[in-house]
Amino acid sequence: MSPLDWWLLLAMLLFCIGAFGVLARRNTIVVIMSLELMLNAVNIALVAIAQFRAGSQGAGVLFSLFVITLAAAEVTVGLGIVIANYRAKRTVENDHFDEMKG
Amino acid sequence: MPGGDFHPFFFVVIAAWILVCGLGVVLFRNIIYSAVSMVFCFLGVAFAYALLNAELVAIVQILIYVGATSVVILFAIMLTEVQQSYGQLFHRQAIFAAPLAVAAAVVMTVMVVSTELVDVGDTSLNLSVHALSSLLFNRYVFPFELVSLVLLAAMIGAIVLARRQGEKR
Repeated sequence: MSPLDWWLLLAMLLFCIGAFGVLARRNTIVVIMSLELMLNAVNIALVAIAQFRAGSQGAGVLFSLFVITLAAAEVTVGLGIVIANYRAKRTVENDHFDEMKG
Repeated sequence: MPGGDFHPFFFVVIAAWILVCGLGVVLFRNIIYSAVSMVFCFLGVAFAYALLNAELVAIVQILIYVGATSVVILFAIMLTEVQQSYGQLFHRQAIFAAPLAVAAAVVMTVMVVSTELVDVGDTSLNLSVHALSSLLFNRYVFPFELVSLVLLAAMIGAIVLARRQGEKR
């Protein structure tokens, strides 16, 4: 196992924790936090590969910066939706948001 | 080595920190504890970047995640005024989500361990802040501008969404 493998394992475990949170938690705000964990995990993998495999020519590090920026945008819009939903239904539990059920 | 010398001790400490705080986000019942755990997880990730010699990403991580994103999430928690979450913590689909996450972890562990990543030469590239910024404003200037557009759209979208319904300015 090379050092890069250990970093990738860390990223993968954090990603799985985040994925479980997204799938399993009922509170929408916790779902968004778990989403952020997943994005952080991907960023760890990107930076680790960029640092251990120089062929990326810095693209990996730059891409992680873009991911951080887009995650900030995503969390803004996501929490905007959560707050709009809270205004309408006085709850943030995601199984109450079923208007689009067929 | 461009990734810096691998310090097993620091790696283990930081990995344990990140994973414990990540589990805290998912498992805490009180949402404030989840949020604080998330802040510490982001901080640990920043240290991980520092350990990887990516100092610029580490600083940006602290600025944006620990500084901005956490505050936005805490604001949302305060605005929605959801105290102690009553009733079930997990959705009923958690019985499928837990084995799925574990299975994904196992499959990806096997993939990471069994894959021989090809080393693509030239490990002498200097990823200084100067080199990165010249890359960002020359070769990657178009994605950079696109991201600024996305941020503007997100800002307007958030304002439109968060405004009270039926309120005309």
